[in-house]
Amino acid sequence: MDEQAILNEELIGLPDMDEVTTVERCLTFKSGDLILYISTRHVIEIINNYSITNLPLVPPYIKGIINLRGQVLPVVDIQMRMGKSETECGNETCIIVLDIDSVSLGIIVDSVRQVIDIDLNNVRPIPLKRQQKLLDGMVTMEDGSVFMSVDCQALAKAQY
Amino acid sequence: MDNGMEGMLDTYLFETNSLLDQLDEMLVKDEKIGDFSSDDVNEIFRIMHTIKGSSAMMEFGSLASIAHHIEDLFFYIRDKGIDSLDPEHKKELFNLMFRSEDCLRGQVEKVENGEALDTDMDSFASEINQFLKKISGAATGEPEVSASNIGSDQSSAPDSLTPAGNLPSDDKAICFLHVFLDEGIGMENLRAFMIINSLKECDVDFRYYPSDMDTNPETCATIIEEGFYLSFEDGEMAAKAEDLMKSQGHIRSYELIMAPESDPEPETPKPDTGDTASKNAAPAPKPERKEVPQKAAPAGAPVKQNLISVNLTKLNDLMDIVGEIVITESMVTSCPELDQLNRDSYDNFMKSARQLRKLTDDLQDLAMSLRMVPISGVFQKMNRIVRDMKQKLGKDVRLTLIGEDTEVDKTIVDNIQDPIMHMVRNSMDHGIEDTAEERIAAGKNPQGEIVLSATHTSNEVIISIADDGKGMNPDKILAKAREKGILVKPESEYTKKEALGLIMLPGFSTNQTVTEFSGRGVGMDVVKKNVESVGGVVSLTSEEGQGTTFSIKIPLTLSIMDGMKVTVGRSIFTIPIANIRQSFKITAEEIIYDENGNEMVERIGGFYPIVRLHQFYGIETEIQNPGEGILIWVETSDHSFCLFVDDLIGEQQVVVKPFPAFLNCFELKNYGIGGCTILGDGNISIILDIPSLHTATLEGF
Repeated sequence: MDEQAILNEELIGLPDMDEVTTVERCLTFKSGDLILYISTRHVIEIINNYSITNLPLVPPYIKGIINLRGQVLPVVDIQMRMGKSETECGNETCIIVLDIDSVSLGIIVDSVRQVIDIDLNNVRPIPLKRQQKLLDGMVTMEDGSVFMSVDCQALAKAQY
Repeated sequence: MDNGMEGMLDTYLFETNSLLDQLDEMLVKDEKIGDFSSDDVNEIFRIMHTIKGSSAMMEFGSLASIAHHIEDLFFYIRDKGIDSLDPEHKKELFNLMFRSEDCLRGQVEKVENGEALDTDMDSFASEINQFLKKISGAATGEPEVSASNIGSDQSSAPDSLTPAGNLPSDDKAICFLHVFLDEGIGMENLRAFMIINSLKECDVDFRYYPSDMDTNPETCATIIEEGFYLSFEDGEMAAKAEDLMKSQGHIRSYELIMAPESDPEPETPKPDTGDTASKNAAPAPKPERKEVPQKAAPAGAPVKQNLISVNLTKLNDLMDIVGEIVITESMVTSCPELDQLNRDSYDNFMKSARQLRKLTDDLQDLAMSLRMVPISGVFQKMNRIVRDMKQKLGKDVRLTLIGEDTEVDKTIVDNIQDPIMHMVRNSMDHGIEDTAEERIAAGKNPQGEIVLSATHTSNEVIISIADDGKGMNPDKILAKAREKGILVKPESEYTKKEALGLIMLPGFSTNQTVTEFSGRGVGMDVVKKNVESVGGVVSLTSEEGQGTTFSIKIPLTLSIMDGMKVTVGRSIFTIPIANIRQSFKITAEEIIYDENGNEMVERIGGFYPIVRLHQFYGIETEIQNPGEGILIWVETSDHSFCLFVDDLIGEQQVVVKPFPAFLNCFELKNYGIGGCTILGDGNISIILDIPSLHTATLEGF
């Protein structure tokens, strides 16, 4: 999907006055083959080039902890969290720092795209019931591409 | 406004609690000599007066009413002199006072927890009153005193009212507003001042009398009796103020008085006379009343104190920031780019860096010392516990306190109060012999003794609770442990120390019957857990027939500690220096294997298991051969073992940070990972928690 398409989407998706509450600003990012989005309410900042300290005895999707200006944050590989292979480290790989109901954590993603408005009324549930570990909705863009919504509550809850 | 209330509530709780602590200390001390000194009577009176006032201000009626009744009681005692009470009454008085203290504490606790206060305090209040009647009956036998007082009061009332009618001298004022507050609201001067402030906020221009009402608590009495005055230079302003008065609370009446040309006639509402008089008709004779503020003044006047109370969270924040500064400082001074500086600038830089280093060290010491409080608060509470238990158990025990002024981090003090209390109870209940005869038969002083002491070492506080009671019998403990099924190896293999250590396991309580004070089977293991939660260790020694000593070793502060950095593979771990006994190299031949292939090493006459950290944590490292790595011999209160690591890096003071909440569900704390710290280069090092590391690696399989 190119930028023009997203811009179009943004224009079309612009809210009517009485629908303001259903539109949410979201950060879109790429993880593996998927394009995911998360509400900017939860996003604190985006960082890269951080040295991660490994933690023993935790599931592999928890990559370790980082020191963000004195605050110790856990870092989750979101791709491994979804049961896939490890995120490969590339030029655009970065960590999105999130605060979900005062649980702070960082997620490793392949690349960050941009911030868009998404009308929550257009978000559809994922039809395959049993398989989602981390995603709780999908929305089709104007150009036919599909963005998936990250389930923040599930993300904030570590599990084995 | 809400914040203001919060702050006031905090201050109120802090003050009230410290007053109650003070009261407790005094009562316990005085009960020992069986008498109140007259200073203490004054002091109790003052404490109750303050509690009454501030509780009334916060509108905690029940607290104010109890305090009020005790105040009355002590007013009488102070007036008559403590010596007028016979010993029987004194004893009763002590019991009554302890109960009132508990009652007050109970209410304060409810305030703290945000629960509703008991509204019905009448029964307790009437008990105090009855006691007052009893002693006043016994001492003078004249209940009519108070009746005749009312008479004399009323006759003296006009005298006192004449000056009350006197308007303050203010030449410019054209009119005055004379305001009376509701009766019995307490802190009248401050309430008046609050009214004045809110008027001022509405742009009303006036002066007020007594003009020192906000700073001088003695104006309180004047305001109760004579009201207070606002003076206006402008009739409009006065009218405006009069309007605003309607919206103010706690005002009984007010009236506008025009500034007189000559001698003003008192315009005080007449019914007030009776009110004031009858209210003042306490059992105390009226003429004495005038002395109250004067007498109380030297003790109670707010002497300028060089102390302030600070919210603990602010100190925690300060400590955090200081920790960050220390880390950042070493980041700056160890920055690799510094090598590129030329020699002169490098020297200059290092000079300033050293200076900075010294300052940050000072800052750190200072910030830490702010959090230090003497342990005496906790110790004093034990006096009370020993006193209560002495009565209930009928044992004669004296508590000796040593090193009360030892200072410990505030968080630690809060955390060790319960463990210490529990151990003192244990010593009282199980330690000391049941009867004096038993003690005499054992050739001891019939009076038992519990020694509670605190001492400092360089970075630890050692608190010990020693009794000279019957001591513990390791065989009995073993038998009991077998009964409970908590033995993990054959009985004969237990050393004495290990056997004694059994009492700290969950589900162990040697007392056959549960008493009010101890023996619920949730005793020592909870103590141990609490102490370990602040990084301390508990140990005990006991000689049968000689007594038992519990020792608690606690680090001086929680947030900063000395650690030894070690490497395992690419990870850096920090081991608390307090746990390290020795580090040494061995050769592969020195390792001894058991039948399961577990490794051990012999050191100074004992055998100790080896835990390979890289194996336990699954860290890849090239150093597998015992000859290449290094062994660190660590010990906790009851275990001693060796850790196999790659290399030692060095010692460093580290600031302990908890793990992010996200990771809580993995219970890393149970696997030897106590927290983490940020190293000088910005990397994170994991701090090992030796006791739980032992549990995770060497127990349970």
